Amino acid sequence: MKKNDLTSMGKSFTKYILIIGALLILLDFTFHRHEYFSFAEIYGFPAFFGFISFVFIVLLGKWLRKFLMRKEDYYDQ
Amino acid sequence: MISNIIPGLIMILTSFLLPTIPQYFRHPAMLLSVGLSALSLFNGYGTFLEWDVLGLNLILYQSDSLTFPFSIIFHIAAVLVIIFSWHSKNLMEHMATLAYAGSAIGALHAGDFFSLFIWWEATALTSVFIVFAGNTKAARDAAMRYLIIQVSSGVLLLIGACLLLYQTGNHNLTVLDLTTDFGIFIFIAFGIKAAFPFLNGWLQDSYPESSVTGTVALSAFTTKLAIYALARTFPGTDSLIWIGAIMTAFPVFFAVIENDLRRVLSFSLNNQLGFMVVGIGIGTELSLNGTVAHAFVHIIYKALLFMSMGAVLYRAGTTKASELGGLYKYMPFTTIFCIIGAMSISAFPLFSGFVAKSLIMSSLGGMGMVLIYFVLFFASAGVLEHSGIKIPYFAFFAHERKSKVKEAPINMLIAMGIAAFLCIGIGVFPKYLYQILPYTVEYQPYTIDHVISQLQLLVFAIIAFLFLVKFKLYPSEIKSTVLNSDWFYRKMLPGIGKPLFKKIGLLTEFIYENLRFFFRLILNKSHKFSNSSYIKVTTPSFAGTILISILFIMLLIVLL
Repeated sequence: MKKNDLTSMGKSFTKYILIIGALLILLDFTFHRHEYFSFAEIYGFPAFFGFISFVFIVLLGKWLRKFLMRKEDYYDQ
Repeated sequence: MISNIIPGLIMILTSFLLPTIPQYFRHPAMLLSVGLSALSLFNGYGTFLEWDVLGLNLILYQSDSLTFPFSIIFHIAAVLVIIFSWHSKNLMEHMATLAYAGSAIGALHAGDFFSLFIWWEATALTSVFIVFAGNTKAARDAAMRYLIIQVSSGVLLLIGACLLLYQTGNHNLTVLDLTTDFGIFIFIAFGIKAAFPFLNGWLQDSYPESSVTGTVALSAFTTKLAIYALARTFPGTDSLIWIGAIMTAFPVFFAVIENDLRRVLSFSLNNQLGFMVVGIGIGTELSLNGTVAHAFVHIIYKALLFMSMGAVLYRAGTTKASELGGLYKYMPFTTIFCIIGAMSISAFPLFSGFVAKSLIMSSLGGMGMVLIYFVLFFASAGVLEHSGIKIPYFAFFAHERKSKVKEAPINMLIAMGIAAFLCIGIGVFPKYLYQILPYTVEYQPYTIDHVISQLQLLVFAIIAFLFLVKFKLYPSEIKSTVLNSDWFYRKMLPGIGKPLFKKIGLLTEFIYENLRFFFRLILNKSHKFSNSSYIKVTTPSFAGTILISILFIMLLIVLL
């Protein structure tokens, strides 16, 4: 059992995902992507939207911890 | 003959017989009863059983194009749960699970509000034993809260049904709207079980407290029964679009910070119900198909995810993210099945979530509802976050594990395998799913626009995850409780109520003591009593005596 199994897995996973992401953006330039709303047809719009949404969800969730997080035995007290 | 038996009833009867069946034959008997109940699927559409009682005509068994897909998936879910729990010897839980699944199937085939009410309460009363079977103090407490909420939903439904009968003379299941009082009662009754915003606390409270196998059963029936009921009675109700949109977006933030992975899945379940509720709110044939398709595939992949976390709980003893990680080495099959469930719920193309969610998104797009469309698009990134990444990442990867654990038992792997097979099968061959939907709509989910758009969203959301982890911005797992809408009745109301009742108690005691003293004074016995050693009399305050005296005098004046 190698010590850095997870690290190396993470690295190769990151590499492939980045390649796939780049390909998807390039694909966008090869054809006209029809969407229900015209502004969503901008190159890479879903990619941009996905990235921003994800960051927003995580950071807002993290911030909400201030208000929503209590100790594990909160309801037992 | 068999065509006149209410589907699901045979499962309930079998559940009562389970204690008399030897341990080894219990699971085969349970499967057999589900199989017999499933024969009803071949009956076709129509009304098969009515019962005149107390001057009411109850439709106990009817089926149509809306009940059909739900009935199929409820039977499938029952089979999955039974296989998944094959190793378990918990008789009470088996009985409750089988009766619960049977009640939910029975409820689908009720043709009027009173029969629906009976089944509605039956699902509550049977499922509470499944929560109870968690067999911890937390589970028992949660079970009591769960029971109160579920029964309240039934009571509201009964009030609505009575008002409906009284005002219109009709009690059959029909399309209602929110301009009538009975409509509102029934709407809220359904809304509680469908976990509407602020009515959702019971779900995240109780489901994660149940046993390894119990949560899988719970995840399938109650909420989807409510979705069915809403689709039947409130299609095209505009407010459902907004309610649904809020349901998709809000649980996402709670899921990010929740530590218990089964609770994360409960938040995720809530978010998925939001998509279905939006579909009902739009109310077109396409969107209602979308709701039914989504409920269908959702039951499978949600059960799969709960099963994988159940297997983790069974082997590792916990589902807390802060104590897990690195299980992929020891539970490789469970890891793969969990990832298949995660990719299905995240709606990757070729997985079942994609072919169902596309229907709802297309109907929104076709209606030009731009805001709701992007709320749901945003929520899709959220689904990927909590169910697609967080669940498999923290359970199976995250960091190396020090102690060894075993792979899940074979029966669990079989159940997960079947569910995973269905997830991919439906994703690759959506036409079989589309064939059983209530309306015949030509729809092609695999257009290049759809696929590329969805892939861009998902892949770049994953890149965002990697980016956040790399820069240490991703919130770490912390042992904690996340407040949810159950806080209102678990903390706030007791917080107000307890001191208030204490004050009221003190006040009544005070008045009582003074009255006692006063009457003794009148009877001229107070002195004797207060001196006696065996009866204690608290001496009232002077102000109290005056107050009571004034009250008494006022009473006399009024009486005279």
